[in-house]
Amino acid sequence: MEFETGEETKLQELIRHWMNERHAPDILPAQSTLLGRLLDHIRKQNDTVQLLRADPDSSEDEHFRIMLAQTEIERVKFIVRSYVRTRLYKIEKYARYVVANPEIQERLSATELEHAKKFAHLMESHFHRTVLQSLPEEQRGLADEVVFMPPMIPEPDKTRSVFALARTQCPPVRLPDGSTSEMEKGQIALTPYYVVEQLLARGEVELV
Amino acid sequence: MTETRQYGDLATQLVTESRRSTATDTLLKYNDPLVRSIIREQRQLEQMISSTLLASEDPEFDGNNPSLLIYQTAILRNKRCLLAYHSHRTDRLRDMYWAVGGALPHLLSDQDIRGKLSPHEVDFLKQYNSAVMDFRSEFSDELDITASIVQPPKDLHVLVRVIRDCGVIQTELGTIDFKKGQRFMVRRADIEHLIVQGYLEEV
Repeated sequence: MEFETGEETKLQELIRHWMNERHAPDILPAQSTLLGRLLDHIRKQNDTVQLLRADPDSSEDEHFRIMLAQTEIERVKFIVRSYVRTRLYKIEKYARYVVANPEIQERLSATELEHAKKFAHLMESHFHRTVLQSLPEEQRGLADEVVFMPPMIPEPDKTRSVFALARTQCPPVRLPDGSTSEMEKGQIALTPYYVVEQLLARGEVELV
Repeated sequence: MTETRQYGDLATQLVTESRRSTATDTLLKYNDPLVRSIIREQRQLEQMISSTLLASEDPEFDGNNPSLLIYQTAILRNKRCLLAYHSHRTDRLRDMYWAVGGALPHLLSDQDIRGKLSPHEVDFLKQYNSAVMDFRSEFSDELDITASIVQPPKDLHVLVRVIRDCGVIQTELGTIDFKKGQRFMVRRADIEHLIVQGYLEEV
């Protein structure tokens, strides 16, 4: 992958977002543009490879390079796939929460949002058919809010601990006990997710 | 021996079944009789609530009735357990679905698995499959998001042995007719789904 922006290639950027997504308890903003560009690039690379393979004049050396390029394409595709599937897993897990919260919907791509809606509906109708419709009418709700019981709609747990690595000098963040803390570039900290949420959104830290 | 049973005991059995399923990493048979008896218990409890409420319309009643609280707690707990059981099962079904790379017919044609599902669960899988297929179709042909994400690819090609006949497959090297017992060196991306579904085996 040859195109570069600053010190980070598109692929490295994807790997960073992939790692973040896998470590964060919450659903992070969709990287649609980045993903689109990488997929375009994969397609172009693939076309080039096909062209070179079909060309009888390409040398032994070139064939070796083609093989390397193909392997690299497969590996990039693996990361894209894992990234998409990680998001899909979280989206399904929190589908009913997503449907109820416009704020989190902004972080999803149109396709993902569509899937979340479908899945939430699917789960609700499955619950309805297997359990709720046989219960007396008073008990059919799916959103009981009872004291001392966890909510019926699972939400991302933002207090979960994550390892954050500072990519630059970070502005101070407020810790749960009220004190503030600053991270130097290269420093790694174990903190609850919500403490570094903003830093992560601005790309000042990455999760490791 | 007379069986003494409290409200909520059946639901505990149901949840224990889910725990056992997780602990042994297997899908157990859908426990329809147990689910039905818990639902019967729920109707009973609801009736007892209504009759208690009727009794409390007595003018001398002081409004203090702890049994209502107990019925209500039992109802809520049973309902939670029922939903948890079904949600645990759908989680497992989705795991199984992804483990075979989204090949639903392959999953449903397995008599052993099919026997463990309730009819609603078969419907669930079918609808889930169609939702995932819609999601997949948004990506280009280049990228099949249902392919395996367990092992990052190390080599482009892989040596496979055919376990079960799987007919003629289009590959990079042209079409190959996979017959049981044969070995082939093929491009991983072309046949990965066949490995996942157990037709081929890596050597």
